[in-house]
Amino acid sequence: MIFISFILGIIKEAFAKKIVLALIIIYLVVVLLVIYLLNLESIDAVQTLLMASSANDFRQAIVNIQAYWILGGFSVFVLFTLFIVLVSSFVPSMLKKGYIDLIISKPISRAKIILGHFTAGIIFIFAALLIMITAIWFLLSLKSGVWNVNFLYSVFWFTYIFAVLYSLIILIAVLTKSTILTILINQLILFPFSYILYFLNDKLQAAAQGLIGGTGEFIIKFLYYLFPKPWDLHTICQNIIAGKEITSYQPVYTSLLFIVVMLSLTIFYFGKKDY
Amino acid sequence: MSIITTNNLTKEYSTKFFGKKKILALNDFSFTVEEGEIFGLLGPNGAGKTTLIKLLLGIVFPTRGDAEIFGKKINDESYKSRIGYLPENHRFPNYMTGGETLVHFAKLSGIEWKQIPPKVDEMLKLVDLEKWKKTKIKNYSKGMMQRLGLAQSIINNPDLVFLDEPTDGVDPIGRKEIRDILIDLKNKGKTIFLNSHLLSEIELVCDRVAILNKGILIKEGKVSDIATYSDTYIFETSDLQNEVLNKLLTSFSITLSGTNLFRIKTTDINVLNNLIDFLRTEKILIHSMVKEKNTLEDMFINLIENRQN
Repeated sequence: MIFISFILGIIKEAFAKKIVLALIIIYLVVVLLVIYLLNLESIDAVQTLLMASSANDFRQAIVNIQAYWILGGFSVFVLFTLFIVLVSSFVPSMLKKGYIDLIISKPISRAKIILGHFTAGIIFIFAALLIMITAIWFLLSLKSGVWNVNFLYSVFWFTYIFAVLYSLIILIAVLTKSTILTILINQLILFPFSYILYFLNDKLQAAAQGLIGGTGEFIIKFLYYLFPKPWDLHTICQNIIAGKEITSYQPVYTSLLFIVVMLSLTIFYFGKKDY
Repeated sequence: MSIITTNNLTKEYSTKFFGKKKILALNDFSFTVEEGEIFGLLGPNGAGKTTLIKLLLGIVFPTRGDAEIFGKKINDESYKSRIGYLPENHRFPNYMTGGETLVHFAKLSGIEWKQIPPKVDEMLKLVDLEKWKKTKIKNYSKGMMQRLGLAQSIINNPDLVFLDEPTDGVDPIGRKEIRDILIDLKNKGKTIFLNSHLLSEIELVCDRVAILNKGILIKEGKVSDIATYSDTYIFETSDLQNEVLNKLLTSFSITLSGTNLFRIKTTDINVLNNLIDFLRTEKILIHSMVKEKNTLEDMFINLIENRQN
């Protein structure tokens, strides 16, 4: 029960960050407004839509809009930046002198404090995604008549991507105690860097090995497996929405391993640290 | 029965990367706190008082030695449900109201959710913050924050309460109210561990004290033993004429503090009686005669100065 109380306390803190929440709501309202204003009544408009979304039929065009426009790379970056700004201060604010002392003096283990933060962040973002994705799906389906249930799976996939990033955010936050550094390291270094690795690995897989030498290939592969894979997971998510076949679930397993390693390192460091 | 026991508890802090330079915050500290007493820990800034509390609560880890609370090792978290803690310069989430803060910490202390609302109201009434229950704590004064902190520390009805500078920033009336709460807790059988630099306060409420300097325990005992009476007597009399004054100064070696107030230092009861006889012979009225008491402050300053010398 103490663990649940701890989680609820962190979720309450998320609601206190009204500016970031307002930005997320504005983002959702803009997307919903664009969908609402989409003209699907005239033949000309539908033809333009088919061309723009590289689809052969109307259903595929709507599915492509869901997978590659609404949940495209730009959307992911904007949305996750907002999410990360929202959650990045959770741990540093807890670690401030005078508050961390109180938390540690309560009958809750240090490991549970970290796991509580992780769980609270996941629950909060899952709830936010559930509302956003469901609202977008419902309005677009109502307007187009195409009820693609696969789009709703993105709630889980995006929560999973967030979990991968959040496990790293918690470690950085515990090490640096700084909200700004946590956001900067995550958004300006790791997120773009993981995209570069994703891109390079994709090129390697596309039989372009000759482009990069053996050592270079090894380094890219090593870093690729070492770092989180939000973009690979995003691609899997897009393919599921679009009804395409998934050739490999490797990023899912390696990302899960990444989460476990990050949380273990955080718990180990936090468990030994004097406050 | 001992509630707290420490054995050679030692804490070294590293000041630089890779721990090249060490600071000894607590050195081979061994002591006990008995059930139902108010124990005061005194010491100048940087003496190691807060470090000791943090060690006992598992907030920092000992370099050497060990400690037990309620007979359990301090790395066993289960004892924490029976304790309350008010840190020095505590910080609560400022987006919460006073009532929400207490609910938050009550839940973290493991109180059943049903019992929390009446308990919160009881605590707010106890520290006179009922009217401020729904006010965000960012609007609270220092004294109000301190009283809220005290309420937070006892909301789970703990058997042992650690209070680090509980009256810091509190006005005299608030200090008196906090003292009354502490005495009330003691009367209910609770054990209180009090860190304070306000020696007069320690003297007013504590049963036993320990004096800590540079991480070393330099004195421990009952307040009544430490704050002993001196060999000096203070006399308040009717106005003393010059002739009488001269005789007093030459024959009895008094120290004058005014025209009708003087001190005499003696261990010989006959000297004291002779002095009284002399005053009566000279038709001087004695308003009062009091044996001077060494305050805890005197003792504290003496001990610290002796150490430094």
